[in-house]
Formats: sequence, structure tokens, C-alpha cells
Amino acid sequence: MDFDFSVIADHWRFLGSGVLVTLALAGLSGIASLAAGFVAALVRLYGPRWARPAIVLYIDSMRAVPVLVVLVWTFFALPIVAGITLPPFWAALLGLTVHLAAYAAEIVRAGVESVRPGQTRAALALGMSRAQVVRRIVLPQAIVRMLPAFGSLLSVTIKDTAIASVIAVPELMRQSETVAGQSFQPIEVYTFAMLVYFVLLFPVTRGVDLAYRRVAHLGRS
Amino acid sequence: MTFDWSVVWQHRGILAAATGTTFLLTIATMAIAVPCAVVVAALRLYAAAPVRAAATGYVELFRNLPLILVVYWAFYVVPILTGVGLPPLATGLAALALNVTAYNAETFRAGINSIRRGQSEAALALGMSRVQVLRRIVLPQALRRILPVLASTWVSLFKDTSLVSVIAVGELAYASMQIRAQTFRVLEMLTAMAVIYWLLGYPQAKLVDWIQRRYAVTE
Repeated sequence: MDFDFSVIADHWRFLGSGVLVTLALAGLSGIASLAAGFVAALVRLYGPRWARPAIVLYIDSMRAVPVLVVLVWTFFALPIVAGITLPPFWAALLGLTVHLAAYAAEIVRAGVESVRPGQTRAALALGMSRAQVVRRIVLPQAIVRMLPAFGSLLSVTIKDTAIASVIAVPELMRQSETVAGQSFQPIEVYTFAMLVYFVLLFPVTRGVDLAYRRVAHLGRS
Repeated sequence: MTFDWSVVWQHRGILAAATGTTFLLTIATMAIAVPCAVVVAALRLYAAAPVRAAATGYVELFRNLPLILVVYWAFYVVPILTGVGLPPLATGLAALALNVTAYNAETFRAGINSIRRGQSEAALALGMSRVQVLRRIVLPQALRRILPVLASTWVSLFKDTSLVSVIAVGELAYASMQIRAQTFRVLEMLTAMAVIYWLLGYPQAKLVDWIQRRYAVTE
């Protein structure tokens, strides 16, 4: 068996553009799902009563359906229903955000609920409004406690962007498939892709752990 | 726009068989991954330094790779390295098992490490052997914490089996997309696929919530 890794050097520009798309997709869907998750969780916890069952249904549905199904549906079926065709990148961004926001919402809820109710009651008794209690007392502690979970969600996000290859988003997985198919050297190309993903993902999990250790005391109460 | 939902009913046989394959993959992967993960976790905790490093390397590697890439890798590399061409189902199973074993090994290790050292030390001081300490003191408590995590891994795995569709394993996602390609009923088949996954996955997700409440540990 001979391995010839020059295929990577020959296509580095093509593969490099895939890495950039992976990072862009992960970054954007990470931010968007974080924002949407916060909104969903806060509405579930503090919003009108009628909105709660809808949000619970949404979260549990996303936990029940594979990302692949969400992505494929967003790209192929949504245009038929809604009449608008999204380019692959934006369909992937929408699909990943809809899926991951449910997980982000669960993290936010768990973080908020971990702050003991006695603190909320005390703050209300001191005359704070509900909004003030949430903003000044609950969230500052809860956000610190959410950090490790958000770190693993970020690494899940990067891993899930690889699934966007099935709807032809030109990210690293897709570009690797193309190069592997053209060069007939799948082992070299996919092994290289493994290396790149590992190099991208390993520091994320480690970095978040390290960062959390430095701020963990802020979340204690 | 006209929709023809009868296409779903016409292909009920294929869809039912494919759903069976999805469950078969989930069950078989777990059946392989749990015992393998026990071994890997034990190596990480109790083996000599080089073996421990290798086990840690394996766990960290597969926890930091997208599963879809592992599936492709297994599909192209396993036949070349071993010289044996496996059917796609076996290749998909191997990729899923490699991935889930790494996650389960981490679950077992974290569960065992979550039992405070003082308890093992106290048991050793009382004259128990290391094996007794593990069997009587550590494992009974650790298992309680491991079970809920295994349950949520089960649900993730159930969903992740859809990824082996990229190497043409005839499970639910692959079968639905094949029917879509043959009949051109895109919306109907993709929606049917989502609904079937939802119907099967939703009760499992709820069951996991129940297990997590039931086995919640408060310290």
C-alpha cells in the first residue's frame, strides 16, 4: 500500500476554502442558535402561559429528529411549501440553527433553574421587578454555569456542519468528497480531513474547560 | 401545487423494513459499544501508562470527529486495510460502534470518577480489597449516574443512524430519499421521513427525561 499525500498539497486551496466555509457556518449557526435558544428558554420560563407548550413541543421535536432530516427538509422541501429557494449555505444555516437552538434552550433553562428560587424570592421581596431579578440576579450566575455546556454545544455545532455536505454546502466534508472522488485517493484525503477536524475541535473542548475554570467562581452562590 | 400523499402508503413495506434496519443498527451498535466501552474505560482508569495513553487517545480522537466523516472513512479505508469488502450495513455498524464506544467510555470513566475518593479510601481502610471496593462501593453508585447518560446517548445514536445513509445502508433516511428520487414526490417523502423519525424519537426522548428524573442524584 502506498500513500501519496501530495494530493492534499495539489488541492490545498480547494480544501482550504472548505475549512473557511466550515468555520463560517459553525460560527454563524453557533451565534444564531445561541440567540434563538436564549429567547426560547426565557419565553418558556417567563413568557405567556400559552407559549410554553408550543416551545416545549418545538424543543422535544428537535431532540427527536436527526439533523440530517432537518437539513434535507429545509433544503428540498421548504422551497416547495414556502416558494422560496435558499442557496445551500443559507439552508444549512437555517436548518442547523433551528435544530441547535432547541439544545441551546435546554442549556439556558437548566442554567436558570440551577439558581436557587430563594434568591429570586429575596430579590422580589427587596422590591425588584421580575425583569430586574432575571437580569441582575439570575442571569449573571446562570450564564457562568452554562459555559461548559455551551462549549460542548459549540463542538457539536462544528461536527454537525459536516452533515451539511449532503445538501452540497462546499464545506470541508464536501470538498474532501470531491477531491477524493477526482483523485481516487480517498484514504489520504479523508485522513487529512480527520486531522483538520480534530485540530479544529480539540482546542474548542479544551479551551472552554480552561476558560470555565477561571470564571467558575463567579457562578457559585 | 398538488400533493399526493398516497405515495407514502404505497411504499409502506419498504419504509417499515427500513425502520426495522434503523432499530437494528441502534440496538446492534449499543450491544457492541457498551462492553467495548467498559474495556476502554477500565484501561483508561487502571492500565499501565502507555495503554492508558492509547485508550485516552482513542476516546479523544473519536469524540472530536464528525460521525459522517468516520462513516466515509470506514467505507473507503476498511476494505483497503483489511482486504475484505464488508457490506455497507457492517461498515456503517463499525463506524457507529467506534463513535459510540468512545462516548460511552467517557461516560463510564466520568461516572466512576464522580464517586468521591474518600469513599474508596474508607473502604480500603476497612480492609476491603480493591476489587471489593469497586464492586461493592463504587459501581453501585456510579451505575446510577451512568444509566441516564447512556439513555441520552441511545437517543443520539438512534438519530445518528441516519448518517450511514451516505454509504447506502438501507435505513429509514436512505430508503425515504431513494423513494423520493424514484417518484419525485419530494415534499411528501421528506415529510414522511421526518414524521416517522418524530413518532419514533419523541417517546424515546420523553423516556430519557423520565429516566433522568427517576435517577437524579442530589448531593
